[in-house]
Amino acid sequence: MNKSSSPSLDPTDPAAGLLPTFAACLIALVVGFGFVTSATDRGRAFTTENLRRSEVARQPVSIPDFTVFDAAGRKQSLRELLTHENRVWIVDFVYTRCQTVCSSLGTIYQQLQSEIVARGLEGRVGLLSISFDPANDRPASLRDYALRMRMHPEAWQIVSLDQTQDRRRLLDTFGIMVVPAPLGEFEHNAALHIIDGEARLVHIVDTTEPGAALELALSR
Amino acid sequence: MVGGAALSFPPLRPLIEQSMVWHMLVQMPLLVLGGWLVAGHWWTRQPPALFERFNRFGLTGFIVTTLIAGYWMIPSSIDRAVVMLGTDMAKIITLWLCGVALRHSMQRAPLLVQVFFLGYTLPMMVWLGLYYATTDLRLCNAYSLESQLAAGKALVVLGSAAGAVWLASLWQRQSQTAG
Repeated sequence: MNKSSSPSLDPTDPAAGLLPTFAACLIALVVGFGFVTSATDRGRAFTTENLRRSEVARQPVSIPDFTVFDAAGRKQSLRELLTHENRVWIVDFVYTRCQTVCSSLGTIYQQLQSEIVARGLEGRVGLLSISFDPANDRPASLRDYALRMRMHPEAWQIVSLDQTQDRRRLLDTFGIMVVPAPLGEFEHNAALHIIDGEARLVHIVDTTEPGAALELALSR
Repeated sequence: MVGGAALSFPPLRPLIEQSMVWHMLVQMPLLVLGGWLVAGHWWTRQPPALFERFNRFGLTGFIVTTLIAGYWMIPSSIDRAVVMLGTDMAKIITLWLCGVALRHSMQRAPLLVQVFFLGYTLPMMVWLGLYYATTDLRLCNAYSLESQLAAGKALVVLGSAAGAVWLASLWQRQSQTAG
């Protein structure tokens, strides 16, 4: 067959000019699927949230140090708090003014707290709520929140960042994105973050599976 | 096209950062449209022979278009474009190329190929729009659920409208050749 350099538009032999096209199609498909596959963790994670979770499961993230204060206004280092007595922590992010989604997360933590206290696990697992609204969540707000949520300090604590400028770094470390919502509220990707005794984020569990989170924490 | 790209920069950037509708249903179509119009303008007489060789019957162009558009409909890609400027620039360039490829392909694709391609892509858009509009799950970390619902509805409208326009153009071409 005469494979000339100019494209063959000969209607009597339509197949002759199709090879370059098929080759280009094939290359496009391979390259395109390559991009999609790598962007979605080999087709498993189409949302940023799922990507975040699978990345952490593969590669623990070491939590950098921040200065935080608790409901009593005591300042301490976050890393010291996390590594104290080799406890495993289940961390979530809150803001005390929240009226909506946080109430369900609060209920989940209350249930976790009851279970931890009932099984006497305070020495092994701790619950930590970190405020991502340090500008507004000062010790008084934390105290109110702790009372409202009926927190037992041996099982469940709440802290807030001392320096508001640390907020971005903290959120980025954990992979939390905060989106302003109407009425001064916030929408954010909420999850249960498992931190081991060496202040490393080792697992992220969906808020619909607190039991699994607890078992994971206990297995560390 | 310039309008589409301009949306990625201040002072207009907050529009796409806050609203998925602006991002997906305004900026992205604008970029594709930009490529479409520019291609039409450049190639008023004859597209380069090189393109012709690799895009017989518009096949390659359609595949490229579907892959590029599909990639930018993935929630994590949208998030990345909002957060990382490099990704955003890549988005602008690839969607513009998508418009160019689409124009080239539509010009030379026989009816069957068009039906195949649009019959896959447009329902996919409508399906994705319905999913975005009805799911409780917030898919993009960068956008509120409300924004997602609005974007879903708008996507359904866009997909349906594109289908209607295409069918109308076919019918018009049909009545022209018949008359």
